[in-house]
Parts: sequence; C-alpha cells; structure tokens
Amino acid sequence: MWLNEDAPLQKQDFNLAQPFVNTAGSLGFCPDLQSIPYLPRLGAFITNPISRYSRSPARSRTCLPYEGGFLLHTGLPNSGISRVIRQHKHCWAGSLVPVILHLLVETPETLEEMVRKIEGLENIMAVELGLPADCEPHHLQAFMDAALGELPVVVCLDPQQVCKLGDAIPDGQCAALHLVQPRGCLPSRTGEIVSGRLSGPGNFPVMLYMARQMIERGVPLIVDGDAIHPWQVKALQEIGVSAIGLGGVLWQTDTNVIFQLFDQT
Amino acid sequence: MISKLLEVTQIGSTPAGLFDIPEKYWPDAGQYLPCQRITGTPEVLVTNLFRTVGLAGGLTLSPLPENWYPGDEIAYLAPQGNGFHLPSTVSRVGLLAWGVAPVRLLPLVRLALDQNAAVTLFYNVDNDQDILSWVPSAIEVVPVSTLGDYLDWMDFLVVDLELAALDALAGVISGAVLPFEGQVLIRTPMPCRGLGACGVCAVKTKRGWRFACKDGPVFSLGEVLHVAQ
Repeated sequence: MWLNEDAPLQKQDFNLAQPFVNTAGSLGFCPDLQSIPYLPRLGAFITNPISRYSRSPARSRTCLPYEGGFLLHTGLPNSGISRVIRQHKHCWAGSLVPVILHLLVETPETLEEMVRKIEGLENIMAVELGLPADCEPHHLQAFMDAALGELPVVVCLDPQQVCKLGDAIPDGQCAALHLVQPRGCLPSRTGEIVSGRLSGPGNFPVMLYMARQMIERGVPLIVDGDAIHPWQVKALQEIGVSAIGLGGVLWQTDTNVIFQLFDQT
Repeated sequence: MISKLLEVTQIGSTPAGLFDIPEKYWPDAGQYLPCQRITGTPEVLVTNLFRTVGLAGGLTLSPLPENWYPGDEIAYLAPQGNGFHLPSTVSRVGLLAWGVAPVRLLPLVRLALDQNAAVTLFYNVDNDQDILSWVPSAIEVVPVSTLGDYLDWMDFLVVDLELAALDALAGVISGAVLPFEGQVLIRTPMPCRGLGACGVCAVKTKRGWRFACKDGPVFSLGEVLHVAQ
C-alpha cells in the first residue's frame, strides 16, 4: 500500500482501505449494497462517467464480443453533473465505502465547473479525470489546474495515453494514476468500424506490462487488469500496484468468481 | 444461483435448453434470465436467455449458445426486466417475429388461446418449417410481408425485433396513432444486465431514453414506434 506511516496526512492524500475499486462504467452511479453484495470489499466506489452537460447514448452504441473479450461503445450517457448530483448525493453520502466521481474532461472551463459543484458533498474521496482520446500533452496542465481543489485528483490513462501523456502529468498535482482499459476498433455486423473500450482476459498481459512500467513513477497506481483469476490479482499486487480496478468481471452472474478475487489478498 | 443444463433441443432451427431451475425463478415471457456457463473457463459476457415453449419437466430457455452442452453448470440470476402482458380484453392477437424465429413469442400463444383470442403469427417459415410443430393448429401462420393487410384486423400486436429494425417496422405501421395496442421485445445487447447502467442497450422512447435491461426489454409499441433511435 502507498500509505507512508511516517509522513503526516495531507489534504491531497489518497488512501484506500481495500486494494480494489470498480472501474468507471461498471456499477452505475450509486453504490447500492443490495445489487452490489461485494461493495464492502471495495476501497472506493467509482461512478459512471459524468459530464458537465447531459450526454445521449451513441447512435452506434454496441457491444461486440471477440476472442479476447468484448468492445463496448456506449457514448457514456449521463444526465450531466447537476442532475447526477441531485439524484445521487444522498446515496453517496450514505455509502458504506467512499465515492470517487469520474468526470469526463472536455474543456478546462467545464471541468472546473464540475469540480466546484462537487466540493462540499459528503463522502466523496476524490475526483477521477477521464481524458479525451485526443488529449495532447500541452492540454494536460490546463486540465490539472482546472481540477485542483479540495479533493485529490486521480488521472485515468489508457495504455495509448501512457505513452503520449505519461511524462506530461505535473508533479504533485496527481494523487494517483489509474491505468484503464485500452481503446480499440472492430467492425460491427453492418460493417461499420466502431471504436470503444476493450474489456476481457485478452487485456491482462498488456495491462500487467504497462503497470510494471508505470509503477516506477512512484505515484500510487490503480490498474484495470481485467483480472478474472486470483493469480492475476496476485501478479498485479506483487509488482506493487496500489489497487486493482475490476470491470467486466463484476457483471458475472456467479459472484463466487468475484469474491475469490478479493480473497486472494 | 447454479443450475444444470439438462438437455439441449431445438425449437425449429433455434437451439434451446432444458434447465433444472426452481419454478419461482422462471421468467415470464419476454423477461430474461442472465446466465453464464461456469463449467470450464468462465465466460466473459452473460448470455441473456428467454423463456420459450418446450420440453416438459423443467424450464426451456432460448436461444442457447452453441457451445453449451448437457451437464454444463450454469450460474443464473433472478428474472430481469419487464415481460409481455397480454390484456385480458384482447380478442385478435398478432405475433410478429421480425427477422428471427418466434421462440420468444410462442409462450404467449397458450395465454392468448386460453382467453379465446384468435391468433395470427407473422413469420416466414420457408427456412424453418420445423417451427410449425410447436405452433398449435388453431394459429394462422402467414408471411411477414402480409402484416399490412392485417392492420385493421388486430386489436393487439406483439413483436420481437432488433433495435435497428424499429424503423423498418414503422414503415409498415405508418401513422402517428396506432390502430391497435401492442408490445415489442427489443433485442439489443444487455451486457451489464442493469448493474452498470452502461447505456449500450438504450432505447429512445416518447418519454426519453430508457434502458432495455431495466425498463424493457418489452416496451409498449406506441412508446417506441416512430421514435428515431
């Protein structure tokens, strides 16, 4: 774990009581114990992506299975930060585990507006930034400045973004990095090429490889390894990741598969 | 909950399976049962199975993945979503299987006949003659292309189609006011079965966006027809 017992606790410290989180988009907006029986085993609940204004589902929304897993393209629909807060703030406040709000980064201005709206809400542990796919290194400082406030900032990077943006993350402004699933493309049944996030066991070797590179940065690291077997959890923990992000595995109908991952620790 | 796949069968050309699931977990017609085979390597995605007609002595679900075999252990959840509701007052029921075998609609046949309704099944049987052995002789079976001829006859229409086919159906049933009531089972991927609110199964209705996994997969026909997706 990254908690240094010798150092005084600071406002931007980010400590998870359990070494697991869900990935944004996997469990909705509200940590509901009834539908998520393993909720107490999570160090934090990460919400679905939230944008400044409401977003509709993508026209070409789809789920495309392939040998290594599946591609999900949704358009990240949500009702916008103001309405999401109205709908879920009580649920977040009463949650058994702290909540991390995943914010869709569009512009520095809208990000700053979102961060200001969040401050003061109960039981919010951090904000997590989902960067746009076309984010360039010179955009990053403005985004980080816009996100800075009372809450620690977690930055999501997929493997492609690690290569492009990894060195541009300002020192001291990022409480943790979250290595998230890669993007990819597949032809749909109609032949249209669809892009989206890739989930599934095919990701694991890539994510483990990237995690080994990133761990040397010395910043707390959450990794979505798409782990489905306890040995995968063990492998990630042995290289020193601070927490493991669980995504598609949480949609399994057999919760034993999920609990055996927690029991690995 | 864990069940066993007892037997693999076919309803027409569609694979189906007999499961030893307690009756209290049997889905209504149109509801779905999220299932995953846990024998061998865990499957990545859930398979959402629907109730159909079939063998005695258990619950028959369809469409069954081709790589599931008798004896396989299946993890399943309680029935999800909203199923069909056939009003007790209807007397002329149309069942429309659009681009798919009518396996999800067949459980409604007995319900309709029990309330003395006349039933017409719109289905192109050319490549699936075997399905007729599951259709009672009291049911009229006609090609989908004749649907337009029956619009004045029906007082209730039940449809099974893919989300992308809604526009095509709207082309057949034109006019802002439907001449009958109806329900439609919208087939679309539902990988998170409502847990993640992932939005991939979103359906635009006249009251805004809804999720097929929670608000459907059966919708009122009037709510979704003539709504651009």
